[in-house]
This record gives sequence, structure tokens and C-alpha cells, in this order.
Amino acid sequence: MHSLFPELRERLLSGGVAPRHVRRYRTELAEHLADLTAEEIRAGLNQKDAEAAALARLGTVDELAQAMLSQPKLRAWSVRAPWAVCALAPLAILAIARGLALLVLWTGWQIFLPGANTPFGAQHVSWIGNAWFQFGRLIYFGTPFALGWALCVLAARQRLRAGWPVAGMFLVAFLATVQSVDANRAAISGAGHIHIGFVFGPSPQAFAGNLAYAAILFASALLPYLVWRWREGRAAAA
Amino acid sequence: MTARGTNPNFLNGVPELLILCLLADETMYGYEIVQAIRARTGSVVAVGEGVVYPVLHALEADGALRTKRKSVDGRSRIYYSLTAAGKRRLARLTNDWTSLAAAIRGVLKGGKDAQSFS
Repeated sequence: MHSLFPELRERLLSGGVAPRHVRRYRTELAEHLADLTAEEIRAGLNQKDAEAAALARLGTVDELAQAMLSQPKLRAWSVRAPWAVCALAPLAILAIARGLALLVLWTGWQIFLPGANTPFGAQHVSWIGNAWFQFGRLIYFGTPFALGWALCVLAARQRLRAGWPVAGMFLVAFLATVQSVDANRAAISGAGHIHIGFVFGPSPQAFAGNLAYAAILFASALLPYLVWRWREGRAAAA
Repeated sequence: MTARGTNPNFLNGVPELLILCLLADETMYGYEIVQAIRARTGSVVAVGEGVVYPVLHALEADGALRTKRKSVDGRSRIYYSLTAAGKRRLARLTNDWTSLAAAIRGVLKGGKDAQSFS
């Protein structure tokens, strides 16, 4: 692939063009360049001159980049509405995942621990029941990490400025930490209920634990992003 | 190397009309579209060839075009074709451009045949 393509790709991604359009543009330009080169060779030029003529006909990096950047419809949503992509969407996904985790907890409690006052704590449960509860835990605790990493990848892939992705990472870490789940069988009805609350450190010990968990969540997403930015900065300076 | 100039005014709505018009007849990929524009306009309308793709992408994003990827002789081609929305857009643009051309022609003739243009 010709050397103009990496520069064009960086210009487009930095300008906010959606990666899928950048990818397809690059593929189409490479094919077009090959067609033009073949045409110039058929017209009697040698390979080197044909390639130079084909490049001149294709357009300069400036022309090619400007043509794409002047189409607002081809911008990525993370550029058009960064608040929605980096903050609102992760929080919505977090809420859905936490709801799903509670559903897993509730069904597991009803099916595998029907007589227990709570599904928490050390209790004898079959291997399939254990697997079911672990699945719920994976959703509950794994989603915030996955969302943080997704924001990190999105920010790197689309060359986003740091502000919104970092704000999104912070929000996910904070809200994932302040949620706490309580499940008890009601004394009167016996049906049991699951409650999810928002509390940050009800006691000094819990506060320290919550703070550590939030810091781990935030750092697990932020550190790879900072490393990527540092490497990009070095590559640009070189 | 063949000398080919480009027309800087090409991007002011003309490529959209020409592309829709060409694709109304048959499906084409980018290189074919550029060659067809060159051939049918007698090279009067010329462009840095790569800049046709952003117009194609934008038309597709608007729902005026659809794409289909085909492998031809080991090469990956993205063929573009007109949608129903694209046909409606072509009809509207054709009407606009015909009116505009008539108005300009009228001005060039000294205003005698000028028509109102909205």
C-alpha cells in the first residue's frame, strides 16, 4: 500500500471521520490507484512513470483528506455527540448489565437456594447453581472493567481528545462503586426482595474499600489509554 | 502521462447529480464512475479522482445509494447502485439543474429568454 495512505488515515481519524469510512476509503483508493496505474501502463508508460501519473490523477493527501472532512455525515458519533457515546451510553450499558446481574441473582436464589434467607454468604449449592451465581458475578463486576477498556479502545481508535473518554471512565468507575446490593427474605411475605442502593462507604472500612475499588476500575482503563497517548506522542515526535 | 486538469468548482453539487445520473443506468464502482464522468462530459468536468469517494459515501449515508462488495479477478470492488430515495433525489436535482441552466442560458442570451428560477 502506498505511503500516502498512513498519513491520510491519521488525518481523517484525527479529523473525526468514522473509522469504517476511513477503512473503506483507503481500500477504494488503493484499488483506484491500481486501476489508474494499469491504465497508464496500457497507454505506454513504464511502471515508475505510470505510478507517478496515477498518483497525480488520484489527488494529493490534502485534496483527498479535505474531500472527506467536508462531509459532516461521515463523522463518527463519538465526535458528533461525545457526551452520548462516552458518558450516556456506558452508563446505560452499566445499568442494563447490573439489572441483568440482579435477575441472575434472583433466579439463582429462587431455583438453587429456595429456603435460604439470602443468596449471599457461604452456603451449599450444586455446581450448576454455583456456575449460575458466578455468571451473575461476572456480569456485575466484569462490566465496569469492560466498559472502561471499551472507552480506552474507542478513544485510541478514533483519536479522540482525552476529555470525554476520561470523564466516561471516571463516571463508570464511580457509579459502579457506589452501587450496593442487598437481598433478604421478607419476614412477612417470605417472598424475598433484592434491593440495589447507591452508597459510598457507609463505614470507614467500606469507604476505603470502595475508594480502592473505584481507583482500580479507573486506573485499569486510564493507564492503557495514557500509555497509548505517550506512544503516539513519541511516534509523532520521531 | 496524459495532461488532465481539474475543475475546482466540481464539488458544488455537480458530482452528486452526475453520479446519481450515471448510477440510474447501471451499477458501477468508483473507477468506472470517474471514467464515465470524464467520457460523457468530454473531460469538461474533471476532478482529482479520489475525491469522488467521499461523495459516494455521503450519498450512501443519506440512503440514496446502496453498495455491494464483489470480488472480480482477485480485486475487491465496491459497486454502487441507486435506491428508490436516490431516484427521487435524482429527479429533484435534475429539475433544479435544468431550471438553473435555463436561467443562466437566458442571462447569457441577454435576458430575453430568462425564466424565473426558484
